[in-house]
Amino acid sequence: MTHLTLSNICKQFAGTTAVEDFNLEVEKGEFVSFLGPSGCGKTTTLRMIAGFEVPTTGKVTIDDTDITYQAPNQRNVGMVFQAYALFPNMTVAQNIGYGLRIRKESKTAIKERVTEMLALIHLEKKGNSYPHQLSGGQQQRVALARALAIRPQVLLLDEPLSALDAKIRVSLRAEIRAIQKKLGITAIYVTHDQEEALSISDRIVVMYEGRIEQVGTPFEIYNFPQTAFVASFVGTLNTAPAEVVDPAKHLLKIDGVQLESAEMLEDKHAGDKVTIAIRPERFNFIAQERKANILDCQIENITFLGSVVRIQLLIGSNRFYMDTFNNPFLELPKIGDKAQITCSREAVLVLKA
Amino acid sequence: MTALDEKRDAPLARPAPHKMSWAWLGVMPFFLFAFLFLIYPSSTIVVRSFQDSVTHGFTLKNILALFDNHYILGAYWISIEISLLTSVGGGIFGFLLAYAAIRGGLPSFMRSSLMTFCGVASNFAGVPLAFAFIALLSPTGLLISWLRALGYNPYFHGFTLYTFWGLSIVYMYFQFPLMVLIIAPAIDGLRREWLEASENLGASSFQYWRYVALPILLPSIMGTMILLFGNSFGAFATAQALTGGQINLVTIVIGSQLRGDALGDPGLGYAMALGMVVVMALAITGYTVLQRRTERWLR
Ligand SMILES: Nc1ncnc2c1ncn2[C@@H]1O[C@H](COP(=O)(O)OP(=O)(O)O)[C@@H](O)[C@H]1O
Ligand SMILES: [Mg+2]
Repeated sequence: MTHLTLSNICKQFAGTTAVEDFNLEVEKGEFVSFLGPSGCGKTTTLRMIAGFEVPTTGKVTIDDTDITYQAPNQRNVGMVFQAYALFPNMTVAQNIGYGLRIRKESKTAIKERVTEMLALIHLEKKGNSYPHQLSGGQQQRVALARALAIRPQVLLLDEPLSALDAKIRVSLRAEIRAIQKKLGITAIYVTHDQEEALSISDRIVVMYEGRIEQVGTPFEIYNFPQTAFVASFVGTLNTAPAEVVDPAKHLLKIDGVQLESAEMLEDKHAGDKVTIAIRPERFNFIAQERKANILDCQIENITFLGSVVRIQLLIGSNRFYMDTFNNPFLELPKIGDKAQITCSREAVLVLKA
Repeated sequence: MTALDEKRDAPLARPAPHKMSWAWLGVMPFFLFAFLFLIYPSSTIVVRSFQDSVTHGFTLKNILALFDNHYILGAYWISIEISLLTSVGGGIFGFLLAYAAIRGGLPSFMRSSLMTFCGVASNFAGVPLAFAFIALLSPTGLLISWLRALGYNPYFHGFTLYTFWGLSIVYMYFQFPLMVLIIAPAIDGLRREWLEASENLGASSFQYWRYVALPILLPSIMGTMILLFGNSFGAFATAQALTGGQINLVTIVIGSQLRGDALGDPGLGYAMALGMVVVMALAITGYTVLQRRTERWLR
């Protein structure tokens, strides 16, 4: 059943359009990420769900109740901010219990819930500490507990890890996901970090300049980007302008080099200009005889990235990256060498405009 | 990569040759300042308070005389009263003004001109301030003349500039701008996230003020009011110029003691000054404690 619905949402600030024609249905218990570069309207959309902004047009509903114009303090939506949002004058326990105190719950009920929340975030011993005595990661866990204590219908998180160290970011995002699954709560997670979105989400909404570019599972978003923007924003991707040679045979040409794709090209004609995209890890050096996708190239540079070796090469005048797993017996060409590489037909994506 | 780094860092890792450090020279002006303007005068006050002004021997006479003299106790009391009144009054007004300026969506140029005005006004004291108020609020002053022209003479309704209330009004003029200047950063330090988190958790704006904003600001407000108290407690020239010594503030009585006109006992004057130092020290301690608490919060 659809739990949270955003229909035809537009938001304009004096002159600028922050969000345009935003439509999304979120299932109960689903973890959805808004992913996009800074300024693309993620926060604005989230704030419309929380009630801090009112859409210029469109509707927000939770469980079929229209909350578009409801005041923030009338909604039952929990929010975790980027950083520094804990009340500095209250202890951890008082912070977590704040929403319940406002709801005039009994002292014993509040105490019980706070204890339960502290156990959930593994900070049982920190109930009497003040926020300034906690690390950044601990503060964000408390912020999460504070938002969850009121048993919200939806949990909203606005780049909650962006102020933390890389290492804590990775462990805390796993913890957030585990807690969300355990409680079965619907969550919307804003981030500009594609790796974060890919690792944590059930579904990702990729946004660009106020619009949805693509909605899909991490698998779909990574492997089948539908627009040039998604392709370039999520993961590393080689893109190059290409020309359709023979739509029936799925033949394309980049800079005179012929390529075969697995994509349907019925709507295209010979001579049409398109953009093709190939992930670096889909390239291989040619080991056996092949009939299609034999690409002559020149090695420009080789970089070790840990488990992966990234090879920069030129095909015609187009620069591509190729990734190959690192191992001690790897035989690599030298910089300046000519080589032949290949990729499967399926690896050659043809992007929508 | 690591080997290279080590090589590059090597020269720095060598122990520095022993050399006389001249760094202490840099803090000399501070110690000189502290000695000349803080340690020397206050130790003089302490020593002279316990010194017989004739024999120069040790005595408790001056200190005991403080508590024995209704005139002197009265002076302390009037000083404390006027300081309390103008620090609380100026504090509340200054806070509201600062809050309105910062959170009321005032255009930034107006905000900076308000701050500039406060910077100037908080230092506007002494003879020029007294004169300005005489020109405005004396029986022949500008504002009083206007009011008279409108058919209302405040002087017929118990108002005079040269009494306790008149002096309080004049003091307010440098008290509230000081409040604005000092409290503004604290109000700026209130994060939008706190208000939004509070609303998000179901609280009204009243509840936000009651449970979050006011508790966070209270130490700053109280601390600054203490500072205002000290500011008014130590003021001398304004009162002297305005009332010509008609209102017996501690500072005015000390002035006459030291000049030797009224009672003419310098030893008693020093003892009174010591009393002021004690009151001021208490005020500054209170201010420091409260300020430290907010700084921790508003980091
Ligand atoms: N209160 C506001 N007033 C004016 N413009 C705003 C306001 N909030 C956001 N914007 C604009 O809306 C756009 C989207 O902002 P935002 O939602 O914060 O982006 P993101 O969170 O994806 O970085 C930006 O161009 C931003 O400048
Ligand atoms: Mg944002």
